[in-house]
Amino acid sequence: MTRKILIKNGLLIDTLEQKETKEDLRLADGEIIERGSGLKAAQDEEVIDAHACWVSPGLVDIHTHMRDLAQKDKEDLHSGSKAAAAGGFTTVVAMANTEPVLDSSNTLSLYLQKIASQAVIEVLPVAAVTKGLLGEELTNMVELAQLGAVAFSDDGKPVQNLVVLRRALQYVKMTGKVIISHAEDLNLAGGGCMHEGLMSTKLGLPGITSASETVAVARELEIVRLTESPYHFTHISCAASLDLIRRAQAEGLPVTVDVTPHHLSLTVDSLENYDTKLKMNPPLRTGKDRAALIEAIKDGTISAIATDHAPHSGLEKSRSFTEAPFGITGLETAFSVCYSELVLAKHIDRLKLLTLMTSGPAQVLDLQTPSLRPGARANICIIDPNYQWTYEAEEGYSRAHNSPWDKKELSGKVLCTIFKGQIVFQASQLAGRH
Amino acid sequence: MTEQTFSTVHLSQKAKELSKLDGLGVQLWRKRRHLLDTDDLSSDELTTALHAAMLCKEMMKSDGPQALLAEKTVANLFYENSTRTRSSFELAAKRLGATVINVDIASSSVAKGETIIDTGRTLTAMGVDALVQRHNCSGAALQIVREFGEDVQVINAGDGWHAHPSQALLDYFTMWEICKELNGAKIAIVGDITHSRVARSNIALLSRLGADIHLAGPPTLLPDDLSKLGVTVHTQIEAAIENARFIMVLRLQLERQQQGLIPSIGEYKRLYRMDHARLKLAADNCKVFHPGPMNRDLEISNSLADDAKHSLVRVQVQNGVAMRMAILYLLLSSR
Ligand SMILES: [Zn+2]
Repeated sequence: MTRKILIKNGLLIDTLEQKETKEDLRLADGEIIERGSGLKAAQDEEVIDAHACWVSPGLVDIHTHMRDLAQKDKEDLHSGSKAAAAGGFTTVVAMANTEPVLDSSNTLSLYLQKIASQAVIEVLPVAAVTKGLLGEELTNMVELAQLGAVAFSDDGKPVQNLVVLRRALQYVKMTGKVIISHAEDLNLAGGGCMHEGLMSTKLGLPGITSASETVAVARELEIVRLTESPYHFTHISCAASLDLIRRAQAEGLPVTVDVTPHHLSLTVDSLENYDTKLKMNPPLRTGKDRAALIEAIKDGTISAIATDHAPHSGLEKSRSFTEAPFGITGLETAFSVCYSELVLAKHIDRLKLLTLMTSGPAQVLDLQTPSLRPGARANICIIDPNYQWTYEAEEGYSRAHNSPWDKKELSGKVLCTIFKGQIVFQASQLAGRH
Repeated sequence: MTEQTFSTVHLSQKAKELSKLDGLGVQLWRKRRHLLDTDDLSSDELTTALHAAMLCKEMMKSDGPQALLAEKTVANLFYENSTRTRSSFELAAKRLGATVINVDIASSSVAKGETIIDTGRTLTAMGVDALVQRHNCSGAALQIVREFGEDVQVINAGDGWHAHPSQALLDYFTMWEICKELNGAKIAIVGDITHSRVARSNIALLSRLGADIHLAGPPTLLPDDLSKLGVTVHTQIEAAIENARFIMVLRLQLERQQQGLIPSIGEYKRLYRMDHARLKLAADNCKVFHPGPMNRDLEISNSLADDAKHSLVRVQVQNGVAMRMAILYLLLSSR
């Protein structure tokens, strides 16, 4: 690995400065040291020709399931972080619903050690809100935050008891961290496995009504109003939930929202063939919901895209639709999917898309905002927007292959990811450019 | 090939007739390989199925087993208990001279889902020609076709709440024996629609034939967006059965009450039980269907269940074997 890199001829898209410039970038010692036109390569520098490519701050994903610990068959921190790097990410936030749960200083310390030894990019762990994700007793939030938890969440489950949620939102103030909400009313969801509507009626599958999410959002918003603590809704899927959150934001409540690439690009209509690679929670909703999500991106209600990368083994996903676990992988395809669905479809421009995948999510959790300024950490991703490619999950880096985009043609590809000045991913297409 | 010519000599008159069936419908049946649901059956296939079932019904009356599928092995793979449907398929296959193996997994404690592919693989590897599969998960039959569809023919004997094509075909056959034209005929389906694969497959089949389908059940047992399937939905049984030519009564699983979907069995009986008093609302020559097994005196009154003038329950059982013979023959016989 070279320590000095010169990225030439690319289009720099700085999401912090909200500016696009045709300039070169010089990296050394893990930092960006120079930005300017026509930079000359020094003897000991590796030159990357980013002609016709975009050069963006490394992508940030605030919702992934990196597994590891007792679930290495699904994913481990090495494979998961490699998959993230292949998707252009230099920072991912890993959820706490591991086995065992990240709810104690012991487990969190172990996880942090594994991250330090195995992850190829920055992996920031979330700690659980409640012990064992049971929704009953709070975890030692202050201790966990001091150890390195960047946020708190019982994701995978809601904190259903509002008294517990209220206390969590009060207590978390001492940490300055955000609680991430998986908004779902479990009684209303009622053991369903797909969106409730005409398609679930046709397929004879138990449905998950949209109300199961919207009801939870409505209730939780009132607890946010009560406590005035910052709160983040992840993987919002329904139009009605967005209406509630939009109104709450207008009233000044400190709430933010992210959306997944799959809810932006797919709908319940694609479930016709009982494909378990399309089974996730919240489920794929209607075309109307999808349009509302895109609208909420445009008007700023949604400020981040997050994958909810949820690896599962082939065996688990080969079960019948009702029995297979929820969740799909998403790190390696997130950029390409969103680029097609949002930019090529002319809903937003490239700067806005990259903002939703860099500074947008970073600001939600108050993480260091990535940028291309000299002095910033050299976390960079280089993207060829014109590259057409076919995603082959088996050839990817994630240990799991449960992706709905497996064997699908995608537009735009991450060619290179640089983390702290080191190349952690480069596509074969980049080779000719050195 | 030699087997075919050899056995034809020993075939009964009706069996010979069956073996000589030809035409577009027969070709389409052979081409389809699998029977997963009723929604993709063409009208040629439907007509052929009726014709074949008619011949099979006559064979059942007069003939012993016929060597029409003598070289075929059919595996009955039932992950869910159903003596009735399993025996019906078993008898049907044996009457066509096929070898039948019954694999009962309902009571096995092996983790579900893992076994559906594993068991499918094992049976396929053993050289079974057809899998007749019943599973409690919707989509399970399609899953087997996706995995092994090239190597084995799959007949869906019921998947979750999704489909039960042989039941819908036998119901259609039973109606057709009484009334050749279902276009415009009012047919009521009454009871727990949400959890009923019988209802779904019948709706898919009968609506394509132009029947005027009316459903009735408590709102908690009517799935979302039901009316978009081209049916009329009622919560009062009276509205659904008024002037109906046929009434299909669905079985009510007792667990629906425990799940809180209905307040009590007593209230359900009061509101939805089919009996002679309610039958007066229907057309004079109305016939009542039930896919079985019946909860006597719950969804159907004892006396109506046994009233051969109106209840077709026994005929359904008999026609079930005939239609399943037809299905097996049309899918498995090769030219
Ligand atoms: Zn979640």
